Amino acid sequence: MSEPILQVEHLKTYFATGGRFGKHPVVKAVNDVSFSIGHHETLGLVGESGCGKSTLGRTIVKINQPTGGKIYFEGKDITSLKGKELKDFRRDVQMIFQDPYASLNSRMTVGEIIREPMEIHGLYGSTKERDEKVCQLLETVGLKPDHIRRYPHEFSGGQRQRICISRALALNPKFIICDEPISALDVSIQAQIINLLQKIQEDTGISYLFIAHDLGAVKHISHRIGVMYLGSLVELGDSDELYHNPKHPYTQALLQSIPIPDPKVERAKKPVEISGELPSPLNLPSGCAFRTRCPHACERCAKETPQLRDVDGRQVACFLYK
Amino acid sequence: MNNLELKDMEWTEDLFEPLDSSEQNSEFIAMESKTFLQDSWNRFKKNKLALVGLVFLVLMILMAIFVPMFSKYSYDQMDMTALNQLPSAQHWFGTDKFGRDIFVRVMYGARISLAVGFSAAIICLFIGVVYGGISGYVGGKVDMVMMRIVDIIYAIPSLLYVIFIMLIFGSNVWSILMGICVSSWVGMARLVRSQVLSLKEQEFALAAYVLGASTSRILFKHLILNCIGAIIVNVTLMVPSAIFTEAFLSFVGIGISAPASSWGTLANEARGLIESNPIQIIWPVGAICLTMLSLNFIGDGVGEALDPKKK
Repeated sequence: MSEPILQVEHLKTYFATGGRFGKHPVVKAVNDVSFSIGHHETLGLVGESGCGKSTLGRTIVKINQPTGGKIYFEGKDITSLKGKELKDFRRDVQMIFQDPYASLNSRMTVGEIIREPMEIHGLYGSTKERDEKVCQLLETVGLKPDHIRRYPHEFSGGQRQRICISRALALNPKFIICDEPISALDVSIQAQIINLLQKIQEDTGISYLFIAHDLGAVKHISHRIGVMYLGSLVELGDSDELYHNPKHPYTQALLQSIPIPDPKVERAKKPVEISGELPSPLNLPSGCAFRTRCPHACERCAKETPQLRDVDGRQVACFLYK
Repeated sequence: MNNLELKDMEWTEDLFEPLDSSEQNSEFIAMESKTFLQDSWNRFKKNKLALVGLVFLVLMILMAIFVPMFSKYSYDQMDMTALNQLPSAQHWFGTDKFGRDIFVRVMYGARISLAVGFSAAIICLFIGVVYGGISGYVGGKVDMVMMRIVDIIYAIPSLLYVIFIMLIFGSNVWSILMGICVSSWVGMARLVRSQVLSLKEQEFALAAYVLGASTSRILFKHLILNCIGAIIVNVTLMVPSAIFTEAFLSFVGIGISAPASSWGTLANEARGLIESNPIQIIWPVGAICLTMLSLNFIGDGVGEALDPKKK
């Protein structure tokens, strides 16, 4: 792989809880995560609710400040960017949000919404030129240019998500973080959005960090997949290989949990091996975070924290593989 | 994935049918495009009470402007030959103890009362929106300090400010206005702060932030614009409360002083004659009541019209 477009090293994002007095526990939303994404590549990020996927994405676009670690975008550390440099970074990295109903300002027309990024960054000379670009973007995402004067509430969920995509594309970014862009949509629309994202990638060579909990969709769009559990990456590898031969016990359990639309196959499945509830992120288990639910947990798992290591061309954080 | 079983199915031609051409128009939106304000106005029109209130208020404003301009009487012109007259064709509302035309005086009083009410509301709107917006958006220690200041202002009764300011600047319209503003902008600030606090975590605000929008752009173009409904309702309800405060101050004698008239002073003057000429007090009090009532109806109507959940 050539020079990665985004490189994350030992990223930590912690949140303080409670008031000003006394000692308060810290939520380790993202706990020592490292990965990189190449040009023209999609990295899928899966994990159950509350595992820190969204926080990771938000830390990369600097909505949340990292507690530790470094994020390199095109070789440049962006964790302490300010002023003009930060604005330049914003042109290159954009985000698509989960809820298409909440992520559009309901008091602005579609034209105003998509034009806004161009106004902020002073792209294109006049409003007329910007409107031409807006129409072009609307066509790219499969909407009609005469939708420019409509308000978001007149659109369906899928159409709104396409408006969000065209807003993100307005700055011609090199990298887009998709924070569960399909989980609020119904299944037929999900495919539409995923195909659209793929087509945009083919046309522009953009890179994605695709966050989702729908494993099927993630496999379809991603080149590589990372699996997160309680703030840490437990497995990272090529999407086909990871699907057909999951190594980490958590990945195995996660893949087993995919429902199959065939009752015969579904009933013949082995029961899910993991038990118990997700531990509170306020009070992480010692050592491997997964050991409380892992069928293969041993003494070592409680004492040491497993790091991501190369196993058969893939990275796994588990002591089962040496 | 295990949908692989589908592959074993036999795909024959008759399983498919050509796409209906109407499918190609699936992106078409039939509804006429309406702006937010058009939409709200349509909902406001359905509320008959609010509409009546609006008509009355507009009439009142027009009369307040034009009656003193075109009437043959002026508000301070005395006529010793026509004291304490009952309503007649010459003097629609009768005359007071100095022979002044009460109709003109009530309309002149409307000028002061309405001007005080609306300007207090507008001044409070600006101060409150900016202060509350900044406090809510910046958050943290800044918010803490700004809100404690608000708490202190809120804790002292508003009458004390008004009387204090009157002592310093004398009793005139400006010091009444200042007194009302000093105490009532805090309500608006609290309202805007709470709205901004909840809106700033929403995804459209985060999206604007990720786009690189400046703080003032996010605050005013995205956050304040989205709580405009609550703000407008608050303003329409602030107007009657300012009018009432002014009337009250003038009634107890520390507001507008004679010969100028506001509804409060008129009521105060008529109070002395309540046994001999009870009709004189009806006019200013009626004007206050009807104006307050219509403003409250308008406030309710606007609140309903701007709330998208009541569509």
